[in-house]
Amino acid sequence: MDEDATRSQLAAALVRVAGGDHAALRMVYQDTSAKLFGVCLRILKDRSEAEDVLQDVYVTVWRKAATFDPGRASPITWMVAIARNRAIDRLRVRGAGGRLQPIEAADAVSDPAPAAVERVELAQQHQRLTRCLGELDARHSTAIRAAFLDGATYEELAGRMNVPLGTMKSWIRRGLLKLRACLER
Amino acid sequence: MSDDDTINPADRGKLIAAEYVLGVLGADERREVERRLTQDPALASEVAFWEERLGALADAVAPVTPPQHTWSRIEAAIPAAAAARPTSLWQSLAFWRGFGIASATLAAASIAAFAYFGFVPAARPPLMATLAGSRGQPNFVAAVTATGDSLVVVPATLLTNDPRAIELWLILPNQRPRSLGLIQPGEPIRLTIPPDLAGRLTADATLAVSLEPPGGSPTGQPTGPVIASGKLTSL
Repeated sequence: MDEDATRSQLAAALVRVAGGDHAALRMVYQDTSAKLFGVCLRILKDRSEAEDVLQDVYVTVWRKAATFDPGRASPITWMVAIARNRAIDRLRVRGAGGRLQPIEAADAVSDPAPAAVERVELAQQHQRLTRCLGELDARHSTAIRAAFLDGATYEELAGRMNVPLGTMKSWIRRGLLKLRACLER
Repeated sequence: MSDDDTINPADRGKLIAAEYVLGVLGADERREVERRLTQDPALASEVAFWEERLGALADAVAPVTPPQHTWSRIEAAIPAAAAARPTSLWQSLAFWRGFGIASATLAAASIAAFAYFGFVPAARPPLMATLAGSRGQPNFVAAVTATGDSLVVVPATLLTNDPRAIELWLILPNQRPRSLGLIQPGEPIRLTIPPDLAGRLTADATLAVSLEPPGGSPTGQPTGPVIASGKLTSL
């Protein structure tokens, strides 16, 4: 199915969820749960915690479906944001005592557009983001990707990339400002 | 976070939204941003900007099928369908009064609906829906007329002077929303149900109201925020 059809079908299902339709929530779950579970798992790195959070995510989707605005956000982006927020909150509760893993080799390569270019169907949004990240200093874009995917704090990122905290903050903030300017062009 | 004084204050203000979405803030800072989000539209729109743009990064995450039992847990955690809607108009009226929301308007709405039923001999159990917003507040009351070919919609609360059009949608199970037409804030309206839908307004149908560009949705599907929705219920 093409992307527009998937998007409008998912948006329509969310409108039905807002009306209290269980079957519609089930449909949304079937279409999106593998994606959202992947996102939660990547942040939490623990299956059982990711399952708890996933459950919480769909209960939240059920409660907040009426606030979803199809004119402003794509349905999957809206749900990814809920999943990331829940997973990051859980991660913060767990505390910083956790794992300081080195950033994966695939993320750390200096090529700012790694696996992305191999994709046949790149959404426009993704293409633009990839291009704009490509204009950043490679270390800045690596830090931004890692922050998004792992939900890591500045402190954790500084530890993982082995730079002082102030340097990490400066990399990410400068990267974000430049990214914003590029995305708005 | 004054440790980076080479970034000017205007940019610092914008950055907090990006940092929130990116996920680099600590728990306390996250709560602070979320608290401000409810009262600062500029911040909310900045967060929406970043969620939409950075969201594409999630494409890099491989999907992982969750275990089978996750769905049944979710199903158990959401309210049963029946509990979500009032069983009778009087019960729901009492409920609304309990929250003190526009009870006079609501009473007028229900009287209008009853007057309607009173004049037309009931050929079938009357169907009504209360369309509630995201916080559960009733925004509209809709009643299918006894002849089954039109729908009376009464706004229960006055809307803000939002310039957007208010469009009513019928959503049947497993189908895309169908437009039933535009409605007016502050005044009851009678809408004719398209003939192919007339027999399909049953107790499992959902009505929803969305805000659309003037003249109504350009796409035939809801494009703006859904401000109220509810299921049809037999009285």
